[in-house]
Amino acid sequence: MPDKVEFVTIFIDGEAYQVPKGANLVDVAKFYADNDIPVFCYHPKMSPVGMCRMCLVELGNSVDRQTNDIKYNADGKPEVMWFPKLQTACTTTVTHGMAVRTDTPKVTDARDDVIEFILTSHPLDCPICDKGGECPLQNLTMRHGAGVSRFDFDNKLHLDKHVPLGELIYLDRERCIQCARCTRFCDEVVGDPVLGFHERGRSLQIVTLSDPPFDTYFSGNTTDICPVGALTTADFRFGARPWELNEVPSLDPYGPEGANISLSTRLDRDSGGVTIIKRVMPRQNEYVNEIWISDKTRFGHHHSRAENRLSKPMVRREDGTLETVSWNEALNTIAEVLKKSAGSVGAVAGPMVSNEDLWELRQLVELTGGSKLGIWPATMTGAEAVAQVGVGTGTNFKDMGKGTTIVVVASDLEEEAPIWFLRTKQARDRGAKLMLLTARPTKLDKYAACILRHHHGETLNAVNNLIGAVLSSDGFTFEESRAEGFDTVKKAKYKGDEAGYDEAAKMITGAENVVVLVGHEGLTLAQHGDVMQSAANLLILTGHVGKPNNGLIPVWPGANTQGALDLGFSAEATADALSQSVVIVAGADPVGTDPAAKAFIASADFVIALSMFDTATTAIAKVILPRQSVPERDGTFTNGERRVQRFYTAQGLIGDTRPDWKVFSQLSNLIDPAVKVRLSAAAVMAEITKNVPRYAEMSYKNLARMEKQFPDVGGDDLYYGGTAYGNHGGLGVQWPVDAEAAGKKLTLKAVKSEKTAKRKGLVAVPVRRLYDRSPEFSASQMMHQRIPSAYAQLSRKDAEKLKVVEGDDITLVFGDGKVRVTAKVDGSTPEGVVLVPVNLTDNPVPTAPMAVEVEK
Amino acid sequence: MEHILLRSRDISDIRKLDVYLRNGGYEGLKKAVLEHTSDQVIQIVKDSGLRGRGGAGFSTGMKWSFIPRDYPVKYVVVNADESEPGTFKDRELMEFNPHQVIEGAMIAAYAIKARAVYIYLRGEFWDIAGDLDQCIEQAREKGLVGQNILGTDWSCECYTHLGAGAYICGEETALLNSLQGLIGQPRVRPPFPAQVGGGLYYEPTVVNNVETLANVPWIIVNGAEAYKKIGTEKSPGTKIFCVSGHVNNPGNYEFPLGITFRQLIEAAGGMRDGKKCKAILPSGASGPVVPGTDKVLDTPLTYEDVAAIDTVLGSASVIIMDEDTDMVWAALKMARFFKHESCGKCTPCREGTYWLYRVISDLYKGNATLKDIELLADVAANMQGVTICALGDFAANPILSTVKHFRAEYEAYVKAQKPATVASAAD
Amino acid sequence: MSIFKGLGTVVKHLLEDPVTISYPEVERPVRERFKGKHALKRYDNGLEKCIGCALCAAACPADAIWVEAAENTDEERYSPGERYAKTYEINMLRCIFCGYCEDACPTEAIVLEHEYRLSFTDRRDSIYTKEMLIDAPPDGVPETPQKVEPGAFDRAIPDMENPK
Repeated sequence: MPDKVEFVTIFIDGEAYQVPKGANLVDVAKFYADNDIPVFCYHPKMSPVGMCRMCLVELGNSVDRQTNDIKYNADGKPEVMWFPKLQTACTTTVTHGMAVRTDTPKVTDARDDVIEFILTSHPLDCPICDKGGECPLQNLTMRHGAGVSRFDFDNKLHLDKHVPLGELIYLDRERCIQCARCTRFCDEVVGDPVLGFHERGRSLQIVTLSDPPFDTYFSGNTTDICPVGALTTADFRFGARPWELNEVPSLDPYGPEGANISLSTRLDRDSGGVTIIKRVMPRQNEYVNEIWISDKTRFGHHHSRAENRLSKPMVRREDGTLETVSWNEALNTIAEVLKKSAGSVGAVAGPMVSNEDLWELRQLVELTGGSKLGIWPATMTGAEAVAQVGVGTGTNFKDMGKGTTIVVVASDLEEEAPIWFLRTKQARDRGAKLMLLTARPTKLDKYAACILRHHHGETLNAVNNLIGAVLSSDGFTFEESRAEGFDTVKKAKYKGDEAGYDEAAKMITGAENVVVLVGHEGLTLAQHGDVMQSAANLLILTGHVGKPNNGLIPVWPGANTQGALDLGFSAEATADALSQSVVIVAGADPVGTDPAAKAFIASADFVIALSMFDTATTAIAKVILPRQSVPERDGTFTNGERRVQRFYTAQGLIGDTRPDWKVFSQLSNLIDPAVKVRLSAAAVMAEITKNVPRYAEMSYKNLARMEKQFPDVGGDDLYYGGTAYGNHGGLGVQWPVDAEAAGKKLTLKAVKSEKTAKRKGLVAVPVRRLYDRSPEFSASQMMHQRIPSAYAQLSRKDAEKLKVVEGDDITLVFGDGKVRVTAKVDGSTPEGVVLVPVNLTDNPVPTAPMAVEVEK
Repeated sequence: MEHILLRSRDISDIRKLDVYLRNGGYEGLKKAVLEHTSDQVIQIVKDSGLRGRGGAGFSTGMKWSFIPRDYPVKYVVVNADESEPGTFKDRELMEFNPHQVIEGAMIAAYAIKARAVYIYLRGEFWDIAGDLDQCIEQAREKGLVGQNILGTDWSCECYTHLGAGAYICGEETALLNSLQGLIGQPRVRPPFPAQVGGGLYYEPTVVNNVETLANVPWIIVNGAEAYKKIGTEKSPGTKIFCVSGHVNNPGNYEFPLGITFRQLIEAAGGMRDGKKCKAILPSGASGPVVPGTDKVLDTPLTYEDVAAIDTVLGSASVIIMDEDTDMVWAALKMARFFKHESCGKCTPCREGTYWLYRVISDLYKGNATLKDIELLADVAANMQGVTICALGDFAANPILSTVKHFRAEYEAYVKAQKPATVASAAD
Repeated sequence: MSIFKGLGTVVKHLLEDPVTISYPEVERPVRERFKGKHALKRYDNGLEKCIGCALCAAACPADAIWVEAAENTDEERYSPGERYAKTYEINMLRCIFCGYCEDACPTEAIVLEHEYRLSFTDRRDSIYTKEMLIDAPPDGVPETPQKVEPGAFDRAIPDMENPK
């Protein structure tokens, strides 16, 4: 929670305003006085540098030194002592009695001069520049500047026009105005110092310092905050002029963060005259992703119109051949099978399946008498823990700073949820403490105040021991009224004296706010459930529940895993669901991503696959129905913070596809004509609001609700917050957890620590990489160079034992599965473990830890 | 007349520690550490009225007193990035009497209880850096630097650091950035180097010029009153004047502040070939040019009096130009220098220095109109007072002052009637 | 009397040149500033002047112009800068021949010329494509795309005349 803010009086152009003390003058003038002080280098999300000199203002002080009060003259106006020189507003923080003049000739002239100086070197590329039309320099030149150039044209400096900073971002050295927003973004916001300045004076230029160039997951954001067209994306290069684009609010289909995006669409001749996505821009949601998105989100949209998209329903004939059929025939075929299934129907929903789809799928399965509703990937669980102590509503990483402890458990946050990585890192920069309970070093290590390292698979004991340390710490008291079941915790007799854990316990008990992010690296599904419960126990015991910025955030594997759990699906049911005689697989490829799933589904007689692409699952399906991608339809996702958010139809349909909810609704209708066919996603959501108490407030109207956000971005304010889009699609709504309900008693369910088995042989630990070879993401050609080739990571000792060196081709054998990968040997991998990234290999690798043999 | 800074100039081998010690060396440090508290040392320096010799002329004692008393980590940085055209005083001080500088720095370190002293030298001073390193080692052996200095519980390390060759790194915050391994660009102030968050590694830091610190041992030994007797009331003490240009004997001359330009030129052997003085740059390339009128020549060289004739004393690198000097050519040279040395951080300086150079070089080639002279003056004026550090002002100074005082020469270029007495000018 | 007066008028007009012309055998010349069908111009080296900036489309009050741009390479060069118009279409049914596109064009690539015989029997034919609008290259100069020496064109847009 932000500290109590002290307000002070300042005068902007003679008017008095009450503003928070110590705030930045540019921000204050904009927010309170609606006074746009022009800036190029200043950005409200980064520290000021005062480089561009555009924000010069006259500054003065009206405070009497003796009395510390504002001096007023006879007219009631403040008596101001003005500084002789102009000052940069961006490097000024407001103090009591400060006076500012932004409209005097002195200030206007200075601004005009700075614009003139900047334009001396800036080329007149505007007609072909991708930024032209949404360019802060263009806008501010229209507003300020002389309108005539005194700098002779032929004298302009000619520099490189087309420098690729990696294959995603292009740099135009001539257009660069050396504002350092991009370098500061990399240094301060992300913590990847991959861009820097080279040379000096007029030759000062941006260079990338990393190999591969511009090696960060957030490079695209620099193009949004670049105040000129110096940094542009390869994706949108000459794609359209900004004013020709239509903006449609949407959501990141990949990660659990639920990043808000805006799809810029336009008709496209080459695509047959349909509306297509020209680019993806961040959409401001200060609760979720602020104005940042990862490169996966930004450049991973090409699957929505990939050429290999399935476009028509297909039915497998007796002889095994696939035949393209009409929707009617396909649906009738399925309906006949479902009618005869006698309740042995299971459904598995993938990570990008919307709440509406899930609801209708559940209705369909229940209509046939089935009950097995699984999710894919089935790696994480803990719906109950989330329902009890998920983060409080109104949680915002932006409010976390001093007094907050962020605990990351069994997760490589940068790879699994880059936006949370970014926001965690920034919270830490603001003074929050970061504690890691991880089995191997990750990028977060350098920001951590405390690292409780443990073996893969022993996360539960680490969390339990932390609880033990909390219980035995000085002055720990537990209010019995908070929750029942304290005796079970006491009985569990957790170790409280592990080295380093007492310090960690202090970081939890001494913190005002505690947020725990739980991943699943190195954990089986059952272990993960225990860790979630234990993490919930920790939060309940220390009282860090039921209020904003406190509670549990699971690092789910998919964009809508939380929604699936909310609507009655679960990972525990997945194995059962796959073993039914009729299996509906929506938006997932269990067969292609897990050897174990293959075994389960082998018993199914009839597999119905809803998929965007040909996969190993569609290869065994009897009926294949084409799915729609997120941009083609309306719907909602629920993110890891339980925020239900809408996405809207953005692009023209590819082929003859239907949204999943419609398919399921029509099937229900075919089976039982009494069931009405739903006509829109909104109608499905209306049904959900009536039947699912937690979603009672989630009507589309509520989800589209907006509030004023700060900083202002886009439109007239793009000079300030960048080209990211203002939010017109809604901020979404979080559902409250039990801990927030007044009078509701929580339950502590102690989980017994596991005996640590002697470690024998090697264990393959699946890890998530942000860039993988999932059919959706690999449809983006431009990202291929960034996707790592299939590899497995070994510790030095193990590699020595196996006589494997970096770069060797090795075969991993687990059970009856086998994959061929390149060996990576490094010091960060723990001994006895082979880290195997999922979704990188052609053959599936296990989704849970498993014994493995390495063959050369 | 008494010398302070160059008093040991004639003692051979003064750079050797034993010779230095025999000639009263490190007496100042001993007196400061063993007889005074830190606050007393600061008070003595404050009382002496010593002003920073790097250019700004800020009271040294005041600067030291801004450092927070009880803050645990503090530094002293010696600015030996002597890059101003026409300045060569620090070099002589460090070459001939390095221990004097080290002693001064250590006294400053004692005054603020610094953890370490960093001597930041310009890249070309690599040989001096080597010598200094040896001197520091010798001093360390005698317990004058390092752990438990002079047997007290005060410890302070001393290091040298070579810059990479940038004029801007003489600016104190750019110097700190460079010392930290960052790009040599000035920082926005506040916070100032003396404040938490503003200094080296963002800890409170005193940044002093070599010459400033070389004064300190003498002040400690002889007391503030003795120092105040030298020079003028507001500008006490002596100053090394680096005289160069069209004089017979260019070089370093130490005089009490308050002698006139005329006296200085006489001391330097008078004007070369008996010519008349046309213009003076009192502070290298960065200060405004003044014409060599009688009024100017009779101006006492103190911080205030020089300011009264619309220029600055700065580091007192006095460049004398005789009547044959082509002032447009001189301005061109200086514009080129600043174009080359602007760090590029602020827009007006980055673009302005480049623009000025383009216009003045066009003008010098004879491709300009009278309007361009106005443009030149206007661009230079627009650069002033709006940049982070003073380089933007410095770069505008030579242009503005030459246009002001020698406009006729510019106009002559425009009319393609170059003055008959053009100095051989190669761009 | 008046009948003679009338006959006189008739005779006078009989002797005068007729006002009408027998179009299409004879065409009346248009005024110099007549605004007819658009032409996309080329430079003398055959490269297209159009850089695909779509400012004409933005200026068009009738929304008659559709531009899609793409990037030049030295292997396939259409225009001297970085960008060219991959698609350039004008819907002649929509066009009101106001000439704003000509005003908006930064490279003087589009010019409304004197051709006014625009007729079609199908609404779809009213869309004039780039091939229909662009001038033929000068004699002896290859058609675009041209293959050029690498580095010959390194500016983002062709140099424009210094605006006075």
